[in-house]
Amino acid sequence: MSLTTYSWLVLAFPLAGSIILGLGHKVLKGKTAGAIGTSAILLSFLSGLGALRSLQSRPEESRQVVSSLWTYAHTGGLDVQFSILVDPLSLLMVLVVAGVSTLIHLYSVAYMASDEGYVRFFAYLNFFVFSMLMLVLAGNLILLAVGWGLVGAASYLLISFWYRRNTATKAGIKAFVINVVGDVGIVLGAIVIIQGTGAVDLLTVFAKAPQVWHTNDPQIVVGCLLLMVGAFAKSAQVPFHTWLPDAMEGPTPVSALIHAATMVTAGVYLIARMHPIFQIATTASDVGAIGGAVTLLVAATIGLVVTDLKRVIAYSTMSQIGYMIMAVSAGVYGAGLFHLMTHAFFKALLFMAAGSVIGAMAGEQNLDRMGGFRKVMPITYGCFIVGGLALSGIPPFSGFFSKDDILLGLGAQGGWYWALYVAGYVGALMTAIYTFRMIFRAFHGEPCEEAKSLADGRLFHAAEHRNPGDGTLEDTGVGYPGAKHHIAERSPSMSISMGVLAILATIGGVIQLPKVTNTLDHFLDPTFSDSPKFGIGIDYNLMAIGMVIGAVFGLLGIYIAWVIWVKKPGTSARIQARFALPYKLFSNKWYFDEIIAFLIVRPFAAAGRFFQRTVERVVVDGAITAGPVSIARASSAAVRSWQSGMLRAYAAAVIVGAALVVLYLMLQA
Amino acid sequence: MELTLLLFLPLATGLLGGILGNRLVKPVAVLGGLGTLGVAVGLALNYDTALGGSQFTVDKLWVKPLGIHWALTIDGLNLALVVLTAFVYASVVVACALREQESPRLFYFHLGLGASAVLGAFLAQDLILFVLFFDLMLVPFYFLVGQWGTGDRVAATTKMVIYTLAGSLLMLAAAVATGALAASHHGRHLDFLISNLERLPLGKGTQQWIFLCFAAAFLVKMPAVPLHGWLKDAYKSMPLPVLALFSGVLSKVAAYGFLKLALPLFPDAAASFQDLLLAIGVISILYGSALAFTTNDARLVVGYSSIAQLGFILLGIFSLTSDGAQGALLQMVNHGVVTVALVMIVGVLASRAKGSEDLGSMGGIAMGAPVLAVVFLIAAFANLAMPASANFIGEFLILKGVFDSVTVVAVIACLGVAMAAVYMLRAYIRAMHGPDTNGVEQRDLSIREALPILPAIALILALALSPQPLLKRSEGPATAAVIPAAKAANIDPIQTATTAQAKR
Repeated sequence: MSLTTYSWLVLAFPLAGSIILGLGHKVLKGKTAGAIGTSAILLSFLSGLGALRSLQSRPEESRQVVSSLWTYAHTGGLDVQFSILVDPLSLLMVLVVAGVSTLIHLYSVAYMASDEGYVRFFAYLNFFVFSMLMLVLAGNLILLAVGWGLVGAASYLLISFWYRRNTATKAGIKAFVINVVGDVGIVLGAIVIIQGTGAVDLLTVFAKAPQVWHTNDPQIVVGCLLLMVGAFAKSAQVPFHTWLPDAMEGPTPVSALIHAATMVTAGVYLIARMHPIFQIATTASDVGAIGGAVTLLVAATIGLVVTDLKRVIAYSTMSQIGYMIMAVSAGVYGAGLFHLMTHAFFKALLFMAAGSVIGAMAGEQNLDRMGGFRKVMPITYGCFIVGGLALSGIPPFSGFFSKDDILLGLGAQGGWYWALYVAGYVGALMTAIYTFRMIFRAFHGEPCEEAKSLADGRLFHAAEHRNPGDGTLEDTGVGYPGAKHHIAERSPSMSISMGVLAILATIGGVIQLPKVTNTLDHFLDPTFSDSPKFGIGIDYNLMAIGMVIGAVFGLLGIYIAWVIWVKKPGTSARIQARFALPYKLFSNKWYFDEIIAFLIVRPFAAAGRFFQRTVERVVVDGAITAGPVSIARASSAAVRSWQSGMLRAYAAAVIVGAALVVLYLMLQA
Repeated sequence: MELTLLLFLPLATGLLGGILGNRLVKPVAVLGGLGTLGVAVGLALNYDTALGGSQFTVDKLWVKPLGIHWALTIDGLNLALVVLTAFVYASVVVACALREQESPRLFYFHLGLGASAVLGAFLAQDLILFVLFFDLMLVPFYFLVGQWGTGDRVAATTKMVIYTLAGSLLMLAAAVATGALAASHHGRHLDFLISNLERLPLGKGTQQWIFLCFAAAFLVKMPAVPLHGWLKDAYKSMPLPVLALFSGVLSKVAAYGFLKLALPLFPDAAASFQDLLLAIGVISILYGSALAFTTNDARLVVGYSSIAQLGFILLGIFSLTSDGAQGALLQMVNHGVVTVALVMIVGVLASRAKGSEDLGSMGGIAMGAPVLAVVFLIAAFANLAMPASANFIGEFLILKGVFDSVTVVAVIACLGVAMAAVYMLRAYIRAMHGPDTNGVEQRDLSIREALPILPAIALILALALSPQPLLKRSEGPATAAVIPAAKAANIDPIQTATTAQAKR
């Protein structure tokens, strides 16, 4: 089969899976839906491998292939084909997305087994994978926006999956609306680009961009900043990030897949994909790099204090994507995508393991209530350690190489990029602290009631389950945690997928070992070889220094966490008291929700109410409508003798009157 | 000939049903609806796209001394709208046939009259003929509200009559003046054929007041803010299927009127009032959206959302660009189809919530109604112009057109895109999601309920896969419609790579 056939199949399988599951929602019993959903994604992944083989067999200069199925929209000023662009970058994303998705589908087969919406879950999840693959394969700006919007919709559906929870529906609409703001950014950015180049097709845009725009041309700076709004909204970067922590209302496999491994990295992909124009718009790129650095620091500080297990990982995701956004904005593409890949492995692993803990806690996610799970859940503990070490950047785990690769690329460029370099290492220290804070609090110390219960061989069930978000009674008959829920490490499909990810998180770095292998960089060459920052002089001294600092900071962070939460319990309370002000700022998440509510949400709501209650009544019904109506009523009173009270006669009179007016006017003419 | 058949088929079957009696009225009406749809689709399939232009034309001098023609045609501008009208009419008739009405004979007669009038307005190629059909459109709806409506129908009819009559009279006067002045100005016989009038431009000052009269009539009918005062009561009291026809197609006649008449006949005036009309469009978008996210009435969410959507359509037309006009035309069709689905869904929701259309009395319906949930979700996503829907392409083209011509308006209009997400999802969540606190009936769509909804959903999906068949046919005429006004406003109607580069 040809490269393009393989690539279309990548898209076709998840779509088919989603449609089959949707249509068969009443017939599919037991775990059939899980099997269908998982195999659809596996087939998509295998097609991706086929495409990879086919692509690599081509000469390097012809590894950017466009394939179109039909004309989607052709107008006076626009020519949109239903087309995909297959090149090393899009294929790398396909493989990461489809690969991790396969594992997460496999995990979900068991994790969601006791849920009433089992079929619906897999239909949505397959639909999400289709949308995400559409996004990364899109061959033009319009289809990119389509994929962009569809992943937002899928994310909404899955965040609100347990739609009986008011907290879940609120989180869903919040995520959706912020993502629509991002979509608007993409649409306007696309319009600016089309205005400049007259093209929508990505490769044509890239070819024309250097002819149309000079460096920092205001038009393309604006265009790129608009695209950046889209990237920031989807990738949860400050100040468009507030939806991501709330998105943890979704089932844990969703957090692993969408809100850690794949969708939230779309912004990174977008900047890398559009690199030929971002390189012209250097101001916009600098804004992106600084935004990434700010996000990585802000998110890390919140990660240090937040007490919800999944939200710790969510803030960590934000922070790690900050690294990636910083990297690709600064032109360090290979490293940024390398980190995207390793992050997908270890972050999905951490979420899956967290799902296991939440299962044991029967839905409870508060770290304050956890403790001592180390002995009763050894596999989960092991996964947390592996994922945690990779996240903290401890050698030889994958995260060590990818994070250092990013910071090296920044440091090697010198200039003000040094500030980003320093921010990256400060972030790395905080990352190690919050990661092991989470691990020590959940797994070490005095076993909590749930851990003891598990040690006695039974899974904990609360007398009544309450939504930790708003305290309302959970409808456990509808969703997880149902009476039959599992914990991950006791169920083969979950432990297999966790095991595979643990291995990948450990050894994933081999794809790009400094001075040894640079498979990934080399693979991506056909996409990025036109970049002016391609192959920026690698400083081997700086590399050695960076690796030492990285390793030392990582270990130091773990040590600090160990002192605070294991060796001397109570230290944390003392620190909170000593640094009350920063603690208040961090634990209130830097007040972003409050600021947005004050600046945007409340004014809009108030305007709506004002229009509804005041303007409609006083101006529209009062001044504009009531005046003419009362005149009409008065004049109709004058001819009341005509009016038999019957509407029909009234209307007939109106028509006859109108006809007379017509006649009069015509005769006048 | 075909067009005369198409035009009179709804009315004729409405009359025939009335004559045949209560037992046959429904089957005859349904056959009439499906037949109309069949004829319309047949015409669309037989329309030679490669050839383009006006086809199936009928042109007879009707009132000789006054130069009024019985002229009907199908071209790229009205083709999709004619099919839309037939589609909506067929859906509505089917929906009506599945429920009971008082005095059905009269009811179906009015419904058929309404559909014929709308078809006439779309097909008419004579200015006076257009005006007649435009005014005729409202007559059956006065009766449908007055006799079959609910709630405060007297207020509803009064407001509707006064608003639209004011607009209609202005338009009538303006139409007569257009023909008369053109004839006297150029020293010719009176002739109201639109294509002839296009060749006889009026003076700039004359164009302005005539344009404003037409605009007033169209803006009332759409409706646009602040001329929407009649909408709330009329929407509230109309029987739901009637509302689907009313909201689905009548508002489009007004928007179509701008493209068909106002821009080609009064290009200078259209250019000089461009900013005013764009402002009205933007205000309609923002104000309509704000009303839609503060009302608790499911029906009014659809109504206020229509104000916002028609605002977008107005923007597209008055961007005076080819893309904007094509986007507006596409969006007219999309909005018509989506509205039919949404209005019918409101009916289904109310039947689950003890007849109440208040969002506050719903909640949690999705649990026992997965098909309804999916259907509603598709319609809601299409209405908020979710990327991948044809509505997205329409809105994209509109925004692109406006961005190319008056950038700041496009940027403000984008607020409306985000607001649409808020009001649509808010309505969806309140009805379908959340805990079931109001004891709603959790029953899925019955076949009876699904019959009028599913075709609309299928059409939404088909258009999403490929809006191109519509765009292909409208490209030429939409561009032609805006060119004179764009020239007058000094706007480049077709932004292409070369013109973009030349500008720089």
